[in-house]
Amino acid sequence: MEQSNPQQLSLGVALADGATFENFYTIEGSGAAQAVFALQTFLQNPSEHGFFLWGSSGSGLSHLLQASCHQANQMRQSAQYLPLADLVGFAPEALLEGMERFDLLCFDGLQHVAGKADWEQALFNCFNRSKDRGRKIIFSANANPSELPVKLPDLSSRLAWGLSFQVPLLADREKLEALTMRSKARGLDLPEEVAQFILNRAPRHIGELFEILDRLDRASLSEQRKLTIPFAKQVLGM
Amino acid sequence: MQVQNDEAGGLCLLAPNRFVHDWVNDKYLSRIIELANDYSEGMRISVSVVVANRQASRFQRRSQRSTPEPIPTANATPTMNPVPVSPSIPAYQQEPEPVEQLELASSDNHNHVSGQLSAHNSTSSSQLVSPNAGLSGASSAAQDSNQVIRPAEAAPEIIKPSSDIEVEGGLKHRTYLNAGFTFKSFVEGKSNQLGLAAARQVAENPGGSYNPLFIYGGVGLGKTHLMHAVGHHLVEQNPHAKVVYLHSERFVADMVKALQLNAINDFKRFYRSVDALLIDDIQFFAGKERSQEEFFHTFNALLEGGQQIILTCDRYPKEIQGLEERLKSRFGWGLTVSVEPPELETRVAILMKKAAQSNMLLPNDAAFFIAQRIRSNVRELEGALKRVIANAQFTGRDIDVPLVREALKDLLALQDKQVGIDNIQRVVAEYYKIKVADLLSKRRSRSVARPRQVAMALAKELTNHSLPEIGDSFGGRDHTTVLHACRKIKELREEDADIREDVKNLLRSLTT
Repeated sequence: MEQSNPQQLSLGVALADGATFENFYTIEGSGAAQAVFALQTFLQNPSEHGFFLWGSSGSGLSHLLQASCHQANQMRQSAQYLPLADLVGFAPEALLEGMERFDLLCFDGLQHVAGKADWEQALFNCFNRSKDRGRKIIFSANANPSELPVKLPDLSSRLAWGLSFQVPLLADREKLEALTMRSKARGLDLPEEVAQFILNRAPRHIGELFEILDRLDRASLSEQRKLTIPFAKQVLGM
Repeated sequence: MQVQNDEAGGLCLLAPNRFVHDWVNDKYLSRIIELANDYSEGMRISVSVVVANRQASRFQRRSQRSTPEPIPTANATPTMNPVPVSPSIPAYQQEPEPVEQLELASSDNHNHVSGQLSAHNSTSSSQLVSPNAGLSGASSAAQDSNQVIRPAEAAPEIIKPSSDIEVEGGLKHRTYLNAGFTFKSFVEGKSNQLGLAAARQVAENPGGSYNPLFIYGGVGLGKTHLMHAVGHHLVEQNPHAKVVYLHSERFVADMVKALQLNAINDFKRFYRSVDALLIDDIQFFAGKERSQEEFFHTFNALLEGGQQIILTCDRYPKEIQGLEERLKSRFGWGLTVSVEPPELETRVAILMKKAAQSNMLLPNDAAFFIAQRIRSNVRELEGALKRVIANAQFTGRDIDVPLVREALKDLLALQDKQVGIDNIQRVVAEYYKIKVADLLSKRRSRSVARPRQVAMALAKELTNHSLPEIGDSFGGRDHTTVLHACRKIKELREEDADIREDVKNLLRSLTT
């Protein structure tokens, strides 16, 4: 064991290796690009405390939150990613106890606990303790702070306190670019007509598109074949 | 979690709380051990998980280690509602600590790990800690209980958690006076005039006739700001003044901890020794009878001793449900003032001040534009301004009304509503005055086919459904039909003003 420096282990879901800022596709000048820029600025700014990201499923919020954790780790800060969809069944006070010692806390999916009194109270307390310590918190949700059905006004106003950004869904053109970029990154040649074919036939949620790309990549590797429409058809059973 | 080596060369994982400790033990420990042994190439490595728990350990040492720590791994079984049952509650500080070699029983019972916290976070907070406060071991804790270091004298410009106050028994208290919350940075308006005047009075004459000062009002209206401002003023007047600010939740947690550690007398002594006690959001005492009892006695002691108490609450004392009558009546003994939501001019003034603090030029009309739209509280106002500033910095433009409109669009308008195909069909049918059944039917007359194409194009644009799914939802059509519809509508939107207008209207009514 050569390292005695603190390292990160995530609580529930492991941080996906690929969930980095480099790996997040945005179009220059777009709303998503601005959100990413603001988020990265926030991470560098010691006097800011809270940040709120919102968007529909598939807009990449979990990716961005995990990327923030990766970045914090790179800056030698401790970070914890907390996927609330998975954690909602647990006792929040016990779960969040002492969590303010992390330099960065990322609460993913506030909508899963909004309206639950014990969670709202625990989040409120955790927020205060973390702010008192000058640490950072990032929230994500499927609605902006004022629309999220949070019942505790004290928590609600704190959610609206910091920067908040919407991450818009990718348009089809952008999904195409994202698929192409991701396949390039792994050395897979994805001809445009194949990408277009996938987009026309398959589920268009970006997460599912990436899964399909994974499948095609594995099949192309194992069968030593280039990606063509007939090959994609065969692999995907279309 | 943090990782460190124990003295026997094993791996020691520090969990922030008992919950995580159990979780890791249950779900990950065997895998971690497996991996650790893989990496060590055959050498067996011991892995243990402990709750990072310096305070409790220290106290424990004082009391002849009556409760072994960490919690034995073998019996750790996370449940759906795990409650920390350990008599020792995890400590909260992460500041560099002097190494205390505590002998802690490790999970596999044959090696020992050191209880020191890693000192990776040697940031500014350490500079705020006095040589004595926070660094003392239990032996010198008694002398330290009177040591208070305030941020105002230690590092006035740093908005950071402030000093640690060491209490006997290893309990740690912090003042947390926020350096940004001063009288100077407070924006006065009709809505908060009374509160401000009262706070100034108390600051000039603490422990006088305005004791306690009870400030109440809705969220984000400046109650905490006023309270901190008094605290700062007291410290400026008397650098040795012991001013303690804390949230009511902290008071309750500290008391529970003190009870568990058998240190309730230290707890009492500490809170009764302060010159000013500032407790925020007192409404959260509701229903916590033991805390109310303790606070009642503290309250009386402070009042008798002429020490100042300032409380904030979201409502008038009499309206707090679940609070003892005797506390309610005592809260009204001094001065009770309310703060109201800021009126337009004050909101504008707040925005101007905040913008100036960020070195941004905020024109009058832009400030009014924001202030007119965000009325509820100052936090939201600040959040909106931050967003405007971020947009200006990102685009390299100056702040003006169009930029503000653009920046706050998604915050103010209800955008990106979840839209489903059925919703689209309903709205489109209504718009063209046809039936939804017509959209799904086989009919191909122009009056039905065009709206159907529009609806398909909107479904592709606004939902994540696959094209085959969209086709299915329109009476079992093929995905190529959907593709064709999308192309056709795209074309028409360029050529035909009517269609362009229709789509624009439909998009608006669907997304806002």
